[in-house]
Amino acid sequence: MRIEKCYFCSTNVYPGHGSAFVRNDAKVFRFCTSKCHKNFKMKRNPRKVRWTKAFRKAAGKEMTIACLFFLDSTIEFEKRRNVPVRYNRELIQTTVKAMKRVGEIRARRERAFFKHRMAAAREKHKAHRKKVLDTVKSSVTLHEPIATASTKDRILVPVKAKSALIQGEGRSMGMDID
Amino acid sequence: MIGLKGTLNCIDNSGALLVECVNVLKNKVNNGWGSVGDEIVVVVQKARPVSAAAQASVSAVKVRRGDVRRAVIVRTRKPVRRADGSYIRFDDNAAVLLNNKKEMLGTRIGGMVSADLRLKGWGKIVSLAPRTV
Repeated sequence: MRIEKCYFCSTNVYPGHGSAFVRNDAKVFRFCTSKCHKNFKMKRNPRKVRWTKAFRKAAGKEMTIACLFFLDSTIEFEKRRNVPVRYNRELIQTTVKAMKRVGEIRARRERAFFKHRMAAAREKHKAHRKKVLDTVKSSVTLHEPIATASTKDRILVPVKAKSALIQGEGRSMGMDID
Repeated sequence: MIGLKGTLNCIDNSGALLVECVNVLKNKVNNGWGSVGDEIVVVVQKARPVSAAAQASVSAVKVRRGDVRRAVIVRTRKPVRRADGSYIRFDDNAAVLLNNKKEMLGTRIGGMVSADLRLKGWGKIVSLAPRTV
């Protein structure tokens, strides 16, 4: 049993989950959910669909092996190995220990990467905002406010006392019966 | 999901290329539908042409168009549930021709077969196939 990766979104596919499609050249495509399977059937490219891992990596939104600032070795640990390893108690122990440590290092590096990415994005955002503000400034000219009447006069609204009832001719509008 | 009139590719070297299902043999319950590992009766719709020179060799054409034979399904487009709960589907429907003793008519298989065949007692076919998935 091994934990496979979804062909489309690269999430983990645990045993008993998902489905697989085998092409006639014996290439196996595994999918985590019907959503990924459907997207595959629609012939979508995972690198062009924004929610997939492939897109995020291609667009520089996540740490990859070929990352410019962090030549990352922590990703190397999670890899498909086709050579079976004989069970060895000590090896398992050290592996479990190492997994924890590698996870910590990876999380820290990811945080740093995110911070770096956001800093660059903030600069860009700031520049954009400044540009927008400048264009607004140049297109609108402000004038002095026009002198108006006092506040009280402006608030005062003439109201006519008006009734919806139509006056009868010579008759009263009372409720009395003839 | 192979039923009456379902067409399958024949992936052995018996000479048949395209076969049509005319009956799904009953095992316990199949409700008229055959899946991977089920035996069916087929009619050969398309076969390799018979040439005199090739007739003497090992890869001689053993069937011709219109022959009625037994066959076993080895791949289906319909997803089949595996024992671990995952589903697997293939690109096409495919079968291998058999004789009356449930032995293979051909001597070779050209193409992968489903690994489910071994569980259903078709180990010979699995061992002959170039790849099992």
